[in-house]
Amino acid sequence: MGLVKAQSLTKVFRRPQKGPGLRGSVKHLFQRRFKDVPAVNGIDVSIEAGEAVAYVGPNGAGKSTTIKLLCGILVPTSGSVEVAGVTPHVDRIANARNIGVLFGQRSQLWWDLPVRESLGLLRDMYDLPKGFYQQRIERLDEVLGIGELMPVLARKLSLGQRMRADLAAALLHQPRIVYLDEPTIGLDIAVKDKVRKFLRELRADGTTLMLTTHDLGDIEDVCERIIIIDEGRKIFDGPLAQMKDSFARTRRMHLHITDGTPMDVIAKHLSTADVSGEGSEVTIAFDRFAHTAGQIIAAVLQVAEVGEFHLDEPAIEDVVRKVYAGELLV
Amino acid sequence: MFRTMRIYRRSLGAHFRSLLEYEADFWVLIVAGAMFNALNLLFLSAVFAHVPALNGWSYAEAVLLMGVWSVIGGLSPLFFEGVWRLSWMVNQGTLDYPLVRPAPVTVQVFSSGIGLHGVGDIVTGGAMLGWALFHVDVDWTPLTVVIGLVLLASAATIHLSIIAITNAATFWISGPHPFLAIAVHTFEDMIKYPLTIYGAGIRAVYTFVVPFAFVTFFPVSWLLDRSAGWVGLLGPLVAAYCVWLARTVFRRGLRRYDSSGH
Ligand SMILES: Nc1ncnc2c1ncn2[C@@H]1O[C@H](COP(=O)(O)OP(=O)(O)OP(=O)(O)O)[C@@H](O)[C@H]1O
Ligand SMILES: [Mg+2]
Repeated sequence: MGLVKAQSLTKVFRRPQKGPGLRGSVKHLFQRRFKDVPAVNGIDVSIEAGEAVAYVGPNGAGKSTTIKLLCGILVPTSGSVEVAGVTPHVDRIANARNIGVLFGQRSQLWWDLPVRESLGLLRDMYDLPKGFYQQRIERLDEVLGIGELMPVLARKLSLGQRMRADLAAALLHQPRIVYLDEPTIGLDIAVKDKVRKFLRELRADGTTLMLTTHDLGDIEDVCERIIIIDEGRKIFDGPLAQMKDSFARTRRMHLHITDGTPMDVIAKHLSTADVSGEGSEVTIAFDRFAHTAGQIIAAVLQVAEVGEFHLDEPAIEDVVRKVYAGELLV
Repeated sequence: MFRTMRIYRRSLGAHFRSLLEYEADFWVLIVAGAMFNALNLLFLSAVFAHVPALNGWSYAEAVLLMGVWSVIGGLSPLFFEGVWRLSWMVNQGTLDYPLVRPAPVTVQVFSSGIGLHGVGDIVTGGAMLGWALFHVDVDWTPLTVVIGLVLLASAATIHLSIIAITNAATFWISGPHPFLAIAVHTFEDMIKYPLTIYGAGIRAVYTFVVPFAFVTFFPVSWLLDRSAGWVGLLGPLVAAYCVWLARTVFRRGLRRYDSSGH
């Protein structure tokens, strides 16, 4: 029984087929031709209450479109959505009370109004009691520092300030289900950290979270499940740890050889690892389930003298990059 | 319903306060609205300087009609200016957030702006109306007053619905500007004069297709007890129909909304 459920979810956009220039435009007026663009193509998802899911995929994969379908902004071409027992695009208002949405590239604050007024308008729409509202604002001020932004006009906020205010706006009513589409886009490290910390707290409060991002650092300590999509289709769905176990097996050890032992000697000695490098700098890539780092270093020391070394842990980034590039079939 | 009204009021109030920041604009817009009406009146007076009556309408009667038109015309910029932003919002995909908030999308869109020139329209229109009511020949009874007010409310509703429906056309004929609505709104100018001065074709269109006749001509005809004045009493029915149509068009339209690529 998922809290957020989608079955064979499909959205096809119709894109006008126009020739170039004025001629193409005029011709289109009389001869309307469209091309169907399937942005989301038969996706099944089921998210349990309290889960935090990372939704990743390359540009144009259909992430934002999926989120818009799940929150009822778009009507699916086919398939079904149910969120907390409600069909979002049919029963919009009931659905709106359960969810919080943030599109990182776009603000929901009223452009000409101070942040305080925007939050006040949202308070009216969500019928938040005064005490609850005060308490929420205090809480959001603690984690996002929105207190100082309250009197500022939305159009005068910097990107990072805007994102903090927008997060506060999306979460003001303490929704059970939160969709965040690129919540850290364009932020500097300090603000990013603040946002990530905030996400971890949300998660700890038991909020159901779905997060799209191109910065995989966002998901490592927030999400325990990852869904990867490409060209509108789901290509991986499982625990983040499992994905790392199955696909991020390779660790890399970088060594500085001090006695001039040539690389191929080391390579010959370590037949089950992949040795590469140049001169005295050698990199050994090995399966972390087949060998420990200790075994590798011990083996190298049998044939060469080692000065410095360090170890690169496998990153989901590498896996995702490979999946995008079609190198990994999941 | 009360909740919706409250959200509406708060939203308009917030935008009004933001407008006050640009104090100069504030007065310019109000004065511009008033000037426009003064010019209309001047033109009407010039016409009546040459003819005693326009198709049987006396000067005071014609001013009454124009006053009704100005007052109703001033209500929509003041309270529903946001409707003119719909095309832009649909085109830019900024309807996304209104669609995920627990308030009707129409309320959020309609209250997203204020046209202060409406104040000028209402003040000058009200003055014309007041002067004209004093000079026309009407048998006032409490019932006349009640029906008159109902017809006025219906007229405002019809006017607004037409603006809303034509703006909602953007869901079908996409594009960032509400050309259809602007065109129709421009033609609406014609109803500040008695409809009888136009040909049968226009009268038919304004009665049956785009019922502008129910905004000024028919209700005023009813008040002045002219022939066919009884048609004015159909105002509330026409208003109900227009509201139903606007709701349907919006509901269908929103289902077609396809946001934007990013
Ligand atoms: N409103 C729209 N009209 C037409 N096509 C659209 C629309 N929205 C998205 N698309 C198309 O659908 C596909 C998926 O877009 P979507 O925005 O869902 O991708 P995404 O995964 O969010 O990408 P990104 O990482 O770049 O944000 C793209 O090919 C895009 O051009
Ligand atoms: Mg996107």
